[in-house]
Amino acid sequence: MSEADKPTVKPEGEAKDSGGEISRRDFFNEVAIAALGVAGLGAATVTYRYLSPNVLFEPPTTFRAGNPDLYPVNSVTYITDQQVYIVRTGAGFYAVSAICTHLGCITQWKPEANQIQCPCHGSKFREDGTKIEGPAPRPLPHFSITLTPDGDLLVDKLETIKPDKVLKV
Amino acid sequence: MSEKTDYEAGLGSNALKNPQRIVFITKKTSAKVKGDVGKQLMSYPHVILREAIAFQLLVIAMVLVALLWDAPLEQLANPLLTPNPAKAPWYFLGLQELLHYFPPLVAGIIIPTLVVVGLIVIPYFNVNIQGKPLWATNPAGRLRVVIATLAALVIVLSVFRAWTVLVPTFVIGGLLLFSYPAPSGDRNSGQFLGSRPISWWVMTWFIVVALTLTLVGTFFRGPGWSWVWPWSSHGA
Amino acid sequence: MSTTPFNQTLDRLRDTRFWKSIFRRGPARTNRTRSLAIFGNIFLHILPVKVREKSLRARATYYLGSFSFFLFVVLSITGALLMLYYHPATPQAYRDMKDLRFVVSNGVFLRNLHRLAAQAMVLAVFWHMFHVFYRGGYRPPHEFNWVVGVVLLLLTLFLSYTGYLLPWDQLAFWAITVGTNIISAMPVLGKQVRFQLLGGNLVGENALLRFYVLHCVVLPLLAVVFIAVHFWRIQKDGGLTVPEDDERKN
Repeated sequence: MSEADKPTVKPEGEAKDSGGEISRRDFFNEVAIAALGVAGLGAATVTYRYLSPNVLFEPPTTFRAGNPDLYPVNSVTYITDQQVYIVRTGAGFYAVSAICTHLGCITQWKPEANQIQCPCHGSKFREDGTKIEGPAPRPLPHFSITLTPDGDLLVDKLETIKPDKVLKV
Repeated sequence: MSEKTDYEAGLGSNALKNPQRIVFITKKTSAKVKGDVGKQLMSYPHVILREAIAFQLLVIAMVLVALLWDAPLEQLANPLLTPNPAKAPWYFLGLQELLHYFPPLVAGIIIPTLVVVGLIVIPYFNVNIQGKPLWATNPAGRLRVVIATLAALVIVLSVFRAWTVLVPTFVIGGLLLFSYPAPSGDRNSGQFLGSRPISWWVMTWFIVVALTLTLVGTFFRGPGWSWVWPWSSHGA
Repeated sequence: MSTTPFNQTLDRLRDTRFWKSIFRRGPARTNRTRSLAIFGNIFLHILPVKVREKSLRARATYYLGSFSFFLFVVLSITGALLMLYYHPATPQAYRDMKDLRFVVSNGVFLRNLHRLAAQAMVLAVFWHMFHVFYRGGYRPPHEFNWVVGVVLLLLTLFLSYTGYLLPWDQLAFWAITVGTNIISAMPVLGKQVRFQLLGGNLVGENALLRFYVLHCVVLPLLAVVFIAVHFWRIQKDGGLTVPEDDERKN
């Protein structure tokens, strides 16, 4: 193969390359790509904002659990609508989340075993939310529980409290 | 084109004008032009006809099964009541079985990511491309690595009590050790296994584990993800 | 040549100006017209004009890739038909499922077919991948097509998973709840990704609508693009891999 046959075509931009200086084409290429990048980033941000709903129609997180006298001493009561266990011991009341800390399945109170059990991946908890066995990474959280002025129990599911806090009535 | 190369393109193949891969140059081998490809057939009608028949067979089979077997439909979705057991689609039951043993970050994110990345990089490693038998070079040294890896796997899986991963690992690990060439003479039974490359072992291990997990998750898991036998009635 | 009435009719049809305007070739009886049949057709030109006999044997592919694609076609058709009776809203979605079963003519058959084909496609795609792996089909120059294949596997799984929520029954709801909670285990971004995917904190109306759009528009479009690239690259990468074992035999 002779020298002449070898491909000698060079990209046009490089042909006028004069050491260090960038050519007009390279300059506009870079400007155009940068502009595209900025536009893409802007579009992505706007789309991301669009995809995050500002108003949600989700159930309220605070609820009244009724009069304390409804709950016998040493009992675990499941509030179906709210996915919360109201536990009354000799010391007082506390509220335990019924949503498994593993993957969000709803646990069930098994009185015969004195356990809270998760149907999805087999986690088991005591009535105070501490884990007995299974893949759950954390104990079930305790929610803030207070008394309303008219004497009802009020549970706030947004506020978690330390498990040793109980509401004395 | 200032760079000097070890090879030259063939006559009339201007790579800039008409890019087309005609030779492959890999490390340690000479350039190899694709040789005899054997008999060739026209796509029309040979491929078209076969594909058409395959399509028809498939549709017939699908329609027959769809007529006989009804897609399941349970009760209306109820966010307040988790069914027991709550199961994902069958192809995710292997993942759900893993989630039973490992924390969600490991089983749900790290392992699947590793699997996907592992699949993607397969063709970019020479060891997979050449596919030399695992025991072809330095068998004694490799045996040590294999045993160390297997031991580490067994320990980790035992700590997490991931029995349904451990058992298939034992089976594949056992076969791997069995395939180790005996110093005195050839073993007949080890011939197929003995000539398998490392990629074959890893993929086979992955498939056997995935299959075991999926089958266990589908047929052997009952309420509370406890072990049940598929023939024993439960729940009800 | 053509003696049967059917062939005579076909030949007469092929002689019409309209037919010729579409196909621009005579009957495919010579290698030239057979080549034209492939590359003169926008759909078929994704295939090579000639293939190796060795790569046409059943053992070479078991038609697993073809079956995956055919299932995608079946799913597109049944899916489009199912959309006509489906509202992505709660609890209407569930009522639509009941309607498909009890009210719509052949609705239950279409839903069965769609669901069955979806399961079969996941199976076929996995099997296809494993088969290609054991045949060494990922080796250069096929490495990029292998990557495209992995993307298609993920798309298949996402398609199947997003479709799983649409009936809005207990099975769907809890599978998606568990699945999206796995995402929130991801460090740093997990909670946000889950919020974006569901359009809220719970699996609800927004989540159903988002999964519906993903399932019926976004993911199928992506799948079509990647399928096209996948097929085209088979041809551009020089046809199917024939392992050395097969190469040596006759």
